[in-house]
Amino acid sequence: MELENADHGQSDPEFLVAKIKNGDKEAFMKLVGLYQQKIFVLTYSMVHEREDALDLVQETFLRLYEKINTYRSGENFNAWLMKIARNICLDFIRRQKARKKESLDQLSPERLDLADTDQDPAHFNPGELISRAVVGLPAKQQAVFILHHYQELKYEEIAKELKISIGTVKSLHYKAVRKLRKLLARQLGGEA
Amino acid sequence: MKNCRYYRQDWLAYWLGELDSNRQKMMAEHLARCQRCQNELNEIKDVIGRTEDWKSELGKTMADIDWDRLQVAITDNVFRQKESQSAAGTAATLKHRHWQPALAGLVAGLLLGMFFSYLLLRPERWPESASRGNSKVNLPAGFVQRVDLALAQRETLDYLERSQYLLLELLQAKSPDEASAFLTQDRIQKLLTEKKYLNNQLEEVKLAKAKMLCDQIEMLFLELIQLSPEMSETELRSLREIIEGRQLLLKINLVKKELQTSEV
Repeated sequence: MELENADHGQSDPEFLVAKIKNGDKEAFMKLVGLYQQKIFVLTYSMVHEREDALDLVQETFLRLYEKINTYRSGENFNAWLMKIARNICLDFIRRQKARKKESLDQLSPERLDLADTDQDPAHFNPGELISRAVVGLPAKQQAVFILHHYQELKYEEIAKELKISIGTVKSLHYKAVRKLRKLLARQLGGEA
Repeated sequence: MKNCRYYRQDWLAYWLGELDSNRQKMMAEHLARCQRCQNELNEIKDVIGRTEDWKSELGKTMADIDWDRLQVAITDNVFRQKESQSAAGTAATLKHRHWQPALAGLVAGLLLGMFFSYLLLRPERWPESASRGNSKVNLPAGFVQRVDLALAQRETLDYLERSQYLLLELLQAKSPDEASAFLTQDRIQKLLTEKKYLNNQLEEVKLAKAKMLCDQIEMLFLELIQLSPEMSETELRSLREIIEGRQLLLKINLVKKELQTSEV
């Protein structure tokens, strides 16, 4: 029982955060091990490139370390960390869009068709289409969708994670799916 | 069907098996007889199906990643960056420290300067504190004496010069009328007043010769002011005899020279 408790303590983000605040490297490594895959699922579903997603995972942990003192005990750590990761991804997407716009501005009109193929839905695989559509969802719907489909949490667990009722989770999920359906229909010209 | 709205929001949860058994059963019964809800569920299945495709692709991508290595790499990288940042912070602090000896030297110099200034100029060292005239300003007595002497010299010189002009004019006047024209009562009175003011200074500072000469000139001016505005020939002659007899002009020149060279 004692061993069980000790192990539970080792995996408890609150316990690890307290140690990290004191500069404990091992606790930080443990926290990385606990959350790196969850964060990768989020970053990959938002940026669709393996290497970019991995860089963003690293950036998320770097930001976490910088902001660790702003984390208040009792706060939902998973939600706090996912918010950091999501903001980093959004920054990345914004930067990428700006860079792409800049490079497109420099291209001659005859080359624009070629450049646009990057954004052509016909070039996406079926899974990537939905992933790109998820990025366009409102924050709460996106969080519920990702937690359910990519992190495979049950409604009850999502409700606990996001500190909302199960009814709200159900409703947000339904709205997310309906919106995705519309987004896919728009992208595929009514195919979906 | 009229009550489709009652089921619509739950088709996703139904498909995912997130409803309780009663609700699940009720939904299944409705689905069996409602084409509209079947269509709704099929569309949901399509979206979820695409998600499953994505999930399987994601699963393959994740399977290729060495998570243990990534865990170590992330940790090392974060801590390396933290160390380089703190090293940069220390370097910045050390940079500031380069200035510290210079600053300390400057402060120490200022303090020492203030201390020695105090030792040299402190009031106890001044034998005769310059609190004369109830002045709240304390100055070294020697300094005050030198200032007093310089002032007395300057004013005596001024007095002697103006007296000299007057005596010269008196000597050079061609007639008593001409002498009376420039020897006005006002002019003589001003010189007498100036002499009174000068008396205090001549007594305080050691200007003995100058004092004696000024006294003689004063005596002459006192006699002069008692004369009537219209001077007679006899009076003019008598005055000239006094000036020449006492060698006033010569004495004035000598004293002036002495005053100018500060040897009085």
